[in-house]
Amino acid sequence: MAMTKTQKRKLFTAGRYGILTLWLLVVMFPIFWIFSTSFKPDSEWFAWPPVYWSATPTWSNYLNVWTGLEEYANTQYIQSMQKPWTALRNTLVISVISTTLAVGFGSVLAYGVSRYKILSEARMFQLLMLRMVPPIVIVAPLSLYYSTLHLLDTMTGLVIVYFLTTLPYAVWMTKSFIDEVPLEVEQAAEVLGANRWRIIWEIVLPLIRSGLVATFLFILILTWSEYLLALILSKTEVATLPVELSKYEGSTEGRVYGRQAALAVGITLPLVAAGIFIRKHLARGFSFGMVRR
Amino acid sequence: MTVSSAGGLDTDSTLKLSRKEMTQARAVRRFKWAVLSPLVLVFALILMPVLLLQLYFSFHGWTVYLGSWWDAEFVGLELFHEVLTDSRFGWAILRSLYFALGSTVGCFVIGFGLALLMYRPFRGQGFYYIFFILPMLTVPIVIAYTAEMLLYQKGPINGILSAIAGKDINVIWLANPDLALTTVMILEIWNWVPFSFIIMMAGLASLPREPQEAAHILGANRWRIFYEIQLPLLRPVIILALILRFLEAMAEFPKTWSLFQGGPGSATETLPIYIYLTTWNYFEISKGAAMSYVVLMLMVAIVLAAIQLLRREKSALDKMYATKSEG
Amino acid sequence: MITNFGDFTRRHFMKSAAAAAAVGMTSGTFANSAFAATEEEGIIAAAKAGKPAGLRGMIWSNYMAAMKKSSEEFKKLTGTSIASIQDISVFVIPQRAMAEAVSRAPDFDFFHVDSNMIPSLASAGLLEPLDKYMEKAGFKIDAVGTFGNFMKYKGNTYGIPTDGNVHTQFVRWDKVQAGSKAYEDKFGKAPAWPETWEDDQRMMEFFQDQKNDFYGSANLRNRANGVTWWYMMFYSAGGFPFDDDMNPTLNTAAGKYAVETYLKTKSVSHPEAPGWGTPQMIPRIVGDKVFSCQYWDGIISLAENPKKSKTVGKWKYGLVPGSKQSGKLVHRSISSPIASLLINKYSPRKEQAAYMAMWFATLKNSEQIVGDRVNTFHDPWHKGHMSSKVVRKAYTPGGVDAIEQNLKVASPPIYLTGLLEFQDILGKNLSEAYVGQMAAKDVLPKTEEAWAKIVRRVGKKRLIKELASYKAVFPKVDVPT
Repeated sequence: MAMTKTQKRKLFTAGRYGILTLWLLVVMFPIFWIFSTSFKPDSEWFAWPPVYWSATPTWSNYLNVWTGLEEYANTQYIQSMQKPWTALRNTLVISVISTTLAVGFGSVLAYGVSRYKILSEARMFQLLMLRMVPPIVIVAPLSLYYSTLHLLDTMTGLVIVYFLTTLPYAVWMTKSFIDEVPLEVEQAAEVLGANRWRIIWEIVLPLIRSGLVATFLFILILTWSEYLLALILSKTEVATLPVELSKYEGSTEGRVYGRQAALAVGITLPLVAAGIFIRKHLARGFSFGMVRR
Repeated sequence: MTVSSAGGLDTDSTLKLSRKEMTQARAVRRFKWAVLSPLVLVFALILMPVLLLQLYFSFHGWTVYLGSWWDAEFVGLELFHEVLTDSRFGWAILRSLYFALGSTVGCFVIGFGLALLMYRPFRGQGFYYIFFILPMLTVPIVIAYTAEMLLYQKGPINGILSAIAGKDINVIWLANPDLALTTVMILEIWNWVPFSFIIMMAGLASLPREPQEAAHILGANRWRIFYEIQLPLLRPVIILALILRFLEAMAEFPKTWSLFQGGPGSATETLPIYIYLTTWNYFEISKGAAMSYVVLMLMVAIVLAAIQLLRREKSALDKMYATKSEG
Repeated sequence: MITNFGDFTRRHFMKSAAAAAAVGMTSGTFANSAFAATEEEGIIAAAKAGKPAGLRGMIWSNYMAAMKKSSEEFKKLTGTSIASIQDISVFVIPQRAMAEAVSRAPDFDFFHVDSNMIPSLASAGLLEPLDKYMEKAGFKIDAVGTFGNFMKYKGNTYGIPTDGNVHTQFVRWDKVQAGSKAYEDKFGKAPAWPETWEDDQRMMEFFQDQKNDFYGSANLRNRANGVTWWYMMFYSAGGFPFDDDMNPTLNTAAGKYAVETYLKTKSVSHPEAPGWGTPQMIPRIVGDKVFSCQYWDGIISLAENPKKSKTVGKWKYGLVPGSKQSGKLVHRSISSPIASLLINKYSPRKEQAAYMAMWFATLKNSEQIVGDRVNTFHDPWHKGHMSSKVVRKAYTPGGVDAIEQNLKVASPPIYLTGLLEFQDILGKNLSEAYVGQMAAKDVLPKTEEAWAKIVRRVGKKRLIKELASYKAVFPKVDVPT
């Protein structure tokens, strides 16, 4: 018995929504859990049966983490010694600077490759694969080298490393956007006497604005959430948010899940907001020049 | 060296033309060096010394208890021999490969599947799209701690699974040595599906419509169109997505370390974990250096093979569509 | 809030000392108080002779919190203060400290780290010997029993204790009393305090109720921590890890006994225990889900805290079990990590840091740090703590007596250069056997094999010389009175 075309289509649509919604639940459940745990009082962090949404939600986790006031057994308020705002500031500064450097520099390099082939195709692939050196492989000699250069535990040190490791992505992603800018635009500018740098900064890059934004965000994610290098290369001054998160552990209280969740929400929200904001540009940036148009 | 499409290099007549072209060529060269030299500088000042230092350590036996590292004794290939005959290292490679392959395939299958279902506009597409990219925006260490909360034997995941299945499901996700590595793999998949998803969405959405429409008119069904027209065009993107993900997965550290530290037993001792333990817990910096180089060579071999494959695919596609390769 | 040392405190001390005498306390305590009054003066005098400094340390903020008050006082009196800290867990400070040793950096002035790392860090050249500063200040470490030897290595003192971590036995005495008759019926005698590991096992098996999520044991069995428990069994059976020639002597009767006893506890442990650390286990201890354990004594104050614990008043604390395996009854508890202040040899401010460290370890200050009800992280160690009202209130009198007993039989993990390396491989093999990835009989031979390599790498001669320090840390009594 054959189904009519309309029936087939209805079945397909229903099936599609079903699968998509299923994956949506899989995606959202852990995120929902962090969010709900951040509002749970400590008796509910380990509860069985599990508490999906607290009946007595509380702001105390956020208060504790983000204002530093620690409520303790005897309802005394003492100053917590954790410093999430410092970590947030560190992460913000380091990520934004290294990402800006990577995208700025990378896009100029990409322009050179796209227009003048200043790097051969082989070299371009090699550059991309540079990204694939596992950080664990270089972190030990790097920390030794940095300590002799007095770059250990400095923002400069981390910025340099993050710049190096994200440059390949920056170059590849922006190149695919630059490739799409018609040459005529540049030729017109050349005729009018503009030099190369002006052409790049004032004409080409503005034309690929959305691509730059997508690249910027992707690299920002990478540097924002990087853990191993930040862990080894920081001491007292430049702990970043991911490193900070691992400190929320009391020996007598166990893993303070509620507070970690409150911190985690703070770590994740900026990225999520940015991601949602520029989602339309993500798709184009991720074609890496591999897609035939 | 090619010059911009403003004109080919013409060794011909008039003085005006060749001077213009010579200036152009010089300008391009100046530009090239202006752009490349900072890069070369950073590589030379940061990357090369680090790699050389690591190489030095891999050839010199140094114990931290012995004094300064420049006094270390030359031991030739002894450390490499030790690494290559270390069964614990072999096991770490196997675990890393299992983890990387499993998570790459998982990410790809799910990501591609979702992309296939979603790349044509439909009602709610934007809504789903926002949520589907969220996992990639979460920080891996946050995922690790959340997973820890979720995966207790008496935890929400088991609770939900039990409710669905109708009977008690008491999987020990975190303390069962047979399951631990798979658990991290699942987390990795959850984290990075958006990566494959976005790449494939980009790929699918930008495929030329004409061949597909033509085939449709000629009566080909959906699956044939997919298999014989869309898929070949997507090959380079697919390969690139797979390789990038695979290599990143081989280097995964925060989730595995925060959740398991290599345990239970040695069930999650992957290459990064073993190198980390060797370097920072045992302080066998020299052995860690030798291990790092072996791993590096392994990755380079994989990457070179991948580059070959990618270039072949790309040039095949270029030929198929007979347009000038952009490079 | 900052006390003016000169007038107030000394008066305060004389007053309380007089009161103590009036109540008829032992002369030992009185002498301690009077001794302590001079302690502080000596330290301040020596510290003032130098320049004030802003110090940088590697210390977990959980520990720092209780020390804040004392450090502010010290700043007022001498100008030297803690300017900044690297706030990381004490369990990872050993590795970070070693990294500092490797790079010989003067960035940190002190490390608040497990004193069992002293041999390793001293061998790496990181630590400053403290005896000359202690002499200048007239300061002595006055710890229970031979506990003070934990700070010594090759004749020099390298650490100042702040936390007297020692494993104490916790037993749910309410359950024992409730099930006393049934126990007697089954085994022929009434249940008593577990004297041996076998008693302990028997009682855990009897009093647990796994169906209702009440397990026998809360001992840690994960890869990182399980080995700490194993040492107790090994030492109490008469074992010692090396012979005089630094050959590993694990695969002996004592070693096999220890592995067997360790693995037996699987039947009374939660199946998820191999993946659990302290963060997961502590809520179970105070949450009425376990019958007994040996655990870090700091948990006593948590267990007796009505706001945090469901088991207040239900526990009895005492000496950890021992073993008759060696022919006579021997008890050995374990002290690891012993968070102490170690001073960086490469720091230009090491003298000031040393005086500050001593400041925290006077009776008065350490009493306040240890007895802090809010930030309970440091455990008792000073002789004076055992009779201190503040400490006895925080830990309950029964708890303090138990701690004292265990301190008298406290032993170290491997008090040699290479602690991390030796312990890691032993812990890994034990953990693999526990989860079934390795046969029990292979644990010790494989560990011995790995240890022989480590001995060669660290240097056999050096280690042989260190054996004396290792043995000196061991307790002098087998059964404390």
